[in-house]
Amino acid sequence: MRALVVLAIVLAMAFATVLALIARPAAAVERNFAGSAMADYHLAPANHSSRSTAFDGFTTELALKAAIDVSDRFSASVKVCYGCHGFELPMAHLDYRFGTAVSLRVGRFSPSLGAFNLRHDPANHRLSSKPLIYDMGRMLRMREWNLGVLPSPFPDNGAELSGTHWIGETVQVDWAAYAVSGFKSDAQGIDLDWQRSRTPDAYYVDNNHRPAVGARVVVTTKLGETSDLTFGVSAQHGSPDAASKLRYTFFGGDLTLRIRRTNVRVEYLGRRQTFETSDPTQLAYRVAGARGDFFVKQGLYAEIEQPLSGAVDLVLRYDFLSRNGNVQAGSPLSHRSAIHRGTVGFTYAIERGLRLKASTETWHFTDEDHRGRQQAVGFHLGLVGTF
Amino acid sequence: MIRLVSRALVVLLAAVVGCSGARRVDGLDPSSLPPDLRADYEVFAHRCSKCHTLARPLDSGITNDQFWRIYVTRMQRMPGSGISDSDVARILRFLRHYSAEQRAKKAAS
Ligand code: HEC
Repeated sequence: MRALVVLAIVLAMAFATVLALIARPAAAVERNFAGSAMADYHLAPANHSSRSTAFDGFTTELALKAAIDVSDRFSASVKVCYGCHGFELPMAHLDYRFGTAVSLRVGRFSPSLGAFNLRHDPANHRLSSKPLIYDMGRMLRMREWNLGVLPSPFPDNGAELSGTHWIGETVQVDWAAYAVSGFKSDAQGIDLDWQRSRTPDAYYVDNNHRPAVGARVVVTTKLGETSDLTFGVSAQHGSPDAASKLRYTFFGGDLTLRIRRTNVRVEYLGRRQTFETSDPTQLAYRVAGARGDFFVKQGLYAEIEQPLSGAVDLVLRYDFLSRNGNVQAGSPLSHRSAIHRGTVGFTYAIERGLRLKASTETWHFTDEDHRGRQQAVGFHLGLVGTF
Repeated sequence: MIRLVSRALVVLLAAVVGCSGARRVDGLDPSSLPPDLRADYEVFAHRCSKCHTLARPLDSGITNDQFWRIYVTRMQRMPGSGISDSDVARILRFLRHYSAEQRAKKAAS
């Protein structure tokens, strides 16, 4: 089955290449290179236990992308990133467009799930840190929590079919459906292992024969010349272990309102995850009845982005993240743990492609750390360039 | 320490907002454009800043009209872009002008 999926992807890529080369002579090839780089300093001054489980100090992210349009219908994109875990390949895909509305994407890409991922590049989102549900290493207590609900970006191998349709001039409906390798569980089968899920050490090969499948639908309504409202829902279901015994399901909804240059965004994302129960000593709580073999991690953020002048944007964000259910033996989390975070930040455009980002975060954890603390504060100062 | 950093941030913010005044850094100053293109520029500035800053298109180095057509339709197909066919026409009208200016600048240097 795994061989079949790989064969199908290779055939689809070859098919798209041949189609495109027939569609246009090679002279029509256009290339564009784009990139971004961000250096961020994270200061978590008061909470020493949080500091031991957070990247405080300098972090750097670099992304380089080449987009190649072979013809009107066929394009290829490759993106290389350098971040906290070395060089990675978050994007290496071919796109083929059928008619005006439907596209096929094959290769390595982040499948359509949630709204934030489109803006995950540090040059695209205004704060240094991502929303908690999508955190990939800038949260406090990140190891206890195993990051957010789904660290963004989440590149994977597979194929996605998507479409964009307009109803008149005011309503846009987008849809996407995909099959990808899916995420991998940790060695104990308790949670997802994000590093194993994307490391090139395993040659980006799936650990089981069952692809993860997902879909997203987005409806955008133009409210006026300079305002629109976007509503989206998405889900993904897959199996993270080699034996395909365990399951995870992501589900989310998002709302974006733009009025002139003001953006208001609210997004919810949840994950229901079953875990291995054959060895009860691995778990902190006794597994009882049918409700004992899964946990739910979920959260939301609400943010407002408001330009204050031609060069300064203000961002206010509230984040919530919770995890309900059994935890690994020895984990500092309880069976009902939550985090509330408030962020105030601003960006200052030194020039068009170069921005200073500064923000303050206040944290409240429902679990006490070993010193009995539940509050923490963090600061970010970063510089991001687009080129 | 925390109070100090918070205060420093507030002072920095106030200074930065104060100094930046009406400077329009993210996009272009519409008054620098021919009057008949200003409305098209506003459509571009609104639609193309939903997911990233305007630096992405304005500093992309793309000066080829055909390439812009492919690029803008690619962005139109991004979920939730809110870019309709009539917006594409207006955005391309502005980008044609902008590209011609960029080409002229390049040739002059
Ligand atoms: C719905 C979201 C969205 C909208 C609206 C949008 N873009 Fe983009 N744009 C993106 C994403 C996503 C990227 C890729 C960034 C990355 O690689 O992380 C991008 C990248 C770019 C790039 C850099 C080159 C590249 O391919 O990465 C250019 C140039 C660009 N956009 C131009 C435009 C223009 C012009 C418009 C308006 C017509 C526009 N964008 C509107 C989402 C959008």
